[in-house]
Amino acid sequence: MLPENLTAVVARNESWTGESATEPYEAGWAREAIVFVRALKEPTGPLPKARIEISADGMHWCAEGSEFALPATKDAVSFQRVTHFGNFLRVAASLPAGGEITVLVTLHLKA
Amino acid sequence: MTEIDALRRAIREADPQLSRFDPLPRIISLDDFDRGMCGWTQLVGNYEDTLDAMLPGYAQHSHAMLSTLPNWDFGSHGGIDGSYALKIATRAKKGAQNVAIKRLTFRKPGPIRLEAYFTFKPEATDLQLSETDIRSFGFLYDLQIGDRSGPGDRVMPHLRFLNAQDGAHVQKWQFKRRTTPIKPIGQAGKTITHYHLAPDDWEDLPGGEQRLCYNEIPTKVNWHYLRFDFDLGAMQATRFQVNDRVFAMDGFDCIRIPAMKNLWCMLNLAFFAETDTDKRAFAYLDSVCLSGEF
Repeated sequence: MLPENLTAVVARNESWTGESATEPYEAGWAREAIVFVRALKEPTGPLPKARIEISADGMHWCAEGSEFALPATKDAVSFQRVTHFGNFLRVAASLPAGGEITVLVTLHLKA
Repeated sequence: MTEIDALRRAIREADPQLSRFDPLPRIISLDDFDRGMCGWTQLVGNYEDTLDAMLPGYAQHSHAMLSTLPNWDFGSHGGIDGSYALKIATRAKKGAQNVAIKRLTFRKPGPIRLEAYFTFKPEATDLQLSETDIRSFGFLYDLQIGDRSGPGDRVMPHLRFLNAQDGAHVQKWQFKRRTTPIKPIGQAGKTITHYHLAPDDWEDLPGGEQRLCYNEIPTKVNWHYLRFDFDLGAMQATRFQVNDRVFAMDGFDCIRIPAMKNLWCMLNLAFFAETDTDKRAFAYLDSVCLSGEF
């Protein structure tokens, strides 16, 4: 059987302001992930970098260390490769006052 | 029982994968989430031109996961006979729902049987039993007659275990006959929407009170057996069983709405979870067997 390979849309048309993150996603079966973020609308204000976060239980989170730019214009896409992330995975960003982005966040996971 | 029935049963009972199910003669799908997602995906709402057109009930949905049921206090729980189960997780907001769906069509309007091993638990954010944090766990079919079979309906049998409501530990099975008003989407006249999982219009299944095995702390779970028999010819439920209880279905009925122009022979099945507090609800499926008589 071919190894599992999953495209999971974990945030769709969600408007991020302030402290924002995708819902916890369990992917302990996957050896690698690519996170894609697409801006569905024109972002406003200053955009910080997004970060990958990992967790033992889906409740307590640590920055994994990977950071990547959020897409700066409508329909722009950015991505981050991640490996060795344990089980729970999420994308988080801390948007400053006035910053807003409407995102489509997709995880591409492979066993 | 004919000789072929007896032979089929003997073969199935000797197969550990099938022995814990009682399928009808043809197995349409046997989904063991140790083999991956098995065609279970996210229920996305309808839209045209913009995702903003999607009803909020659907916009909240996200993708199910392959889970080992990991817990902060004792680690991975695992499934019945493997490491993984399908996990349906709501957001951490009272009333939030999430759905996993499998989309098929049928080739004969006859009896079908849905069997599953399931459990549910809230996210263990508190060191409390938390038995009233999950509002419900449930399942549904979304069905429509064949294009030459009419006149007929789109038929959506729904059943949910109302575990708790506003802190009361209710524990009863309910069904639904009504959905929200049908609303056109976009300008092309091709798509409509309605939210059949709206919190209103659930009715008690007569005799549907049931106490399940919840266990004694917020992390331990036990698997439960579920079986739902439905006749696609009569578009009626014929039997419903959870563990040792078989429920009379005389008082049960489905959501019935006019047939839609793009859904002929549709056979969709879905499971859902709903939280009653600002805490994520998790529903888990160890395995699902869909079978039919054809």
